[in-house]
Amino acid sequence: MGGEQIAERVPGVRRGPLSGVKVADFCWMGVGAVATRMLADFGAEVIRIEDRDRPDLPRRLPLYKGEVRAYGDIDPNPDPNKGGLFNNYNRNKLGITLNMRTEKGREIAERLIADSGIVTENFAPGVLEKWGLTRERIEELRPGSILARMAGFGHDGPHHRFRSYGPVIQAVCGLSFNSGLPGREPSAWGMSYMDNQAAYYNAIALMTAIYHRKRTGEGMYLDVSAVEAGIGLLGPDLLDTLVNGRPSRRPDFPRGNRLEFPDAAPHGVYPASGEDQWIAVAVFDEKDWSALVEVMGRPEWAIDDRFATMQARLENVDALDALLGEWTVAYDKHTLMHLLQKAGVTAGAVQNSRDLVETDPQIAARGTFFELDHPVIGPALFEGIPMRLSGSEQHNWRSAPLMGEDNDHVLSRVLGMDADEIGRLAAEGII
Amino acid sequence: MHKRIENSPFSDLIVVELADTPAGEQVGKLLADAGATVVKVEPRAGVSSRHIGPWRDGVVGPNESLSFWAYNTSKQSVVIDEPDAYSGPLADLLDRADVVVTTDGPARLAERGISPDALRRGRDSLIVVSVSPFGLTGPWADYRTSDLVGLAVGGPLHSCGYDDHTIPPILPGGNQAFQNAASFAVQGLLLALIERFDGGGGQVVDVSMHESNAVSCELANPYWFYPKVLVKRQTARHAQPTRTSPELFECVDGYVYFALILGDLHQWKAVVTWMDEHGLAEDLTDEAYTDLAHRQKRFSHVQEVFEAFFARLDAQTLYLEGQERGVPIGPLRAFEELSTDEHLQARGFFVDVPLADGTAVMFPGSPLVSSGFAPRPSRPPRLDEHGDLGVGRSR
Repeated sequence: MGGEQIAERVPGVRRGPLSGVKVADFCWMGVGAVATRMLADFGAEVIRIEDRDRPDLPRRLPLYKGEVRAYGDIDPNPDPNKGGLFNNYNRNKLGITLNMRTEKGREIAERLIADSGIVTENFAPGVLEKWGLTRERIEELRPGSILARMAGFGHDGPHHRFRSYGPVIQAVCGLSFNSGLPGREPSAWGMSYMDNQAAYYNAIALMTAIYHRKRTGEGMYLDVSAVEAGIGLLGPDLLDTLVNGRPSRRPDFPRGNRLEFPDAAPHGVYPASGEDQWIAVAVFDEKDWSALVEVMGRPEWAIDDRFATMQARLENVDALDALLGEWTVAYDKHTLMHLLQKAGVTAGAVQNSRDLVETDPQIAARGTFFELDHPVIGPALFEGIPMRLSGSEQHNWRSAPLMGEDNDHVLSRVLGMDADEIGRLAAEGII
Repeated sequence: MHKRIENSPFSDLIVVELADTPAGEQVGKLLADAGATVVKVEPRAGVSSRHIGPWRDGVVGPNESLSFWAYNTSKQSVVIDEPDAYSGPLADLLDRADVVVTTDGPARLAERGISPDALRRGRDSLIVVSVSPFGLTGPWADYRTSDLVGLAVGGPLHSCGYDDHTIPPILPGGNQAFQNAASFAVQGLLLALIERFDGGGGQVVDVSMHESNAVSCELANPYWFYPKVLVKRQTARHAQPTRTSPELFECVDGYVYFALILGDLHQWKAVVTWMDEHGLAEDLTDEAYTDLAHRQKRFSHVQEVFEAFFARLDAQTLYLEGQERGVPIGPLRAFEELSTDEHLQARGFFVDVPLADGTAVMFPGSPLVSSGFAPRPSRPPRLDEHGDLGVGRSR
């Protein structure tokens, strides 16, 4: 694990459990790119197929070094090789350009699919069919192929053509309603949470299909709907409604930072010193509470009868939260986290990305983030894989491909074309 | 009994679950629903999730916990007193297992006489999936966690909450800190299975919940990696370096999510035409609004007209009419509205799961839809239901 500085960007032999696996990757945006990144990180040859005229949104989003812009504040003339988000999502992949609106472009795509045996895509339903790349055609091109489709609503059903992106998925699946203070509008998610989770579920589906094909030679058609993946993440509250018939539209739901199950008090996010700085504290039993009271130096309020038992603390939870917050606010969030954790109290600073990158010793020790060089961006950080495998290699060999960077390599090495032919394709706007 | 899933790639996989958090339990559930034999090893009183509500019909007991049900479908349950990984029934079980799932950090594992490396001694093909609060190494390896604390220290919580920053960040529901870790643990396990199939042995897959959350913050990390700015939480929409306009709209019976992309003329026209058909477009039909600069100048008025439009209709109408016009809009569904959704019904997503007492209850189905096999949850096991069978011993 960890970064390697490699000046050479020409694709070489890949290492890792997925070496030998090849993917013709039509994915874009977040969900698809993160799903196939997992394959690329562990040795698969993932060939991203892009349209020069319609660059992926993460290529256009101006998350640039040294330039602060909001997500919607689009650069009118973006350099498609400069986007930080694209770089983060597409490391370790190859990149080619192909104009799928031309017959020759589609023919090249078919040859790549025949060579790869795995096709991944997360377009709106219908796009692949428009190119003639039906499930049957893919099977014809290469028997035993895997086709992974990753639409928000899946590929059948009356709403399968509905438009989706993270926050829409989160709304429809219940994950937005599920979050907020009681009696207020939902606070929902401050990110496209389902872009990540749907990606992870798609990576799981893809690796399951790869495993299955290794064992049996059989291919597989995969249809992971982000909405359904999201419903699968709702947990016991959903069963409370499905099994017990308890409505979730009720005055005390959602619960903010408090829990209904299990009993926990205090349980919340409390102010720390500094502007908008916070610490989360979770007390699940009397032992935790005694430890917290000791750390606080046994203040008079804490040994009051109102807080003597879990039941009492739950009954007086507003007062408890206010009093605890008056104590926490004097502390730096990290100092307090360590003080509490060392005493056996479950607590954590609300960390921002600067904390994660610059001061979190756990992230540093585990090498979660790593650096690779990039021809346009220069040395850049990446979000790595949050695990260590004692017997499998993660192979980080290159930052994200420049637009069309691997055209020559893929067309010559994989498809056997000569320089003249590749030159003609470029001149004709096929690649 | 556990239902066999035909043609499952996991049908001959034996997983021993020594898990005590939703992270590890969800790993076992995904595998069990997909056809693996997952044997949950429990103490005499049952694992802790059996003692957490909500309770089926309000009946408190180890077999009635919906927290247990949510993460433990399709499994087998065996009580093993004084589990010893190196002799006795647990050792026998592990000798036959392909995979063992643990959820504690190193110190607590050691208290139980377990270490992932030692579990593999003499069991070369065993895959140990450890999905622990902070990972098995590093200065915080023995720190405690919870769902709230995991999301806090891992970063996602910093992006979640309200525009009003006197309100602390707000916990997104559903044990998502554990779910992020579970998703990576299953990915790690599949990599290990593939490695093993290709002639490698077993291995230890050391998954950190903390890191799983730290790499699941979407834009927040790239915003720090590249332009070096921090995002700020904003009500029900992306945390960003600057304040954006609201995207949550109150309607007759709840809320809908809709992000107006002011620069998208196509979307603008679609929405205004739609509003006009309801007689609620006010002056937005004026040709002047086809100019982006005009829309930007009049933005607060535009937002007010939109608010008034959404406030007049119900969420379902807004959803169906909007989406039919290609407008990406979503109703904030409450849980009771999910199982009656016509799309989910047509896809057969929710399934009736027969229980031991002859009744059936509805569960969400598997999100893994494939041509090869059909994952599907069967009921969660009663405590020690499979103890007599000596699963893993009698094979």
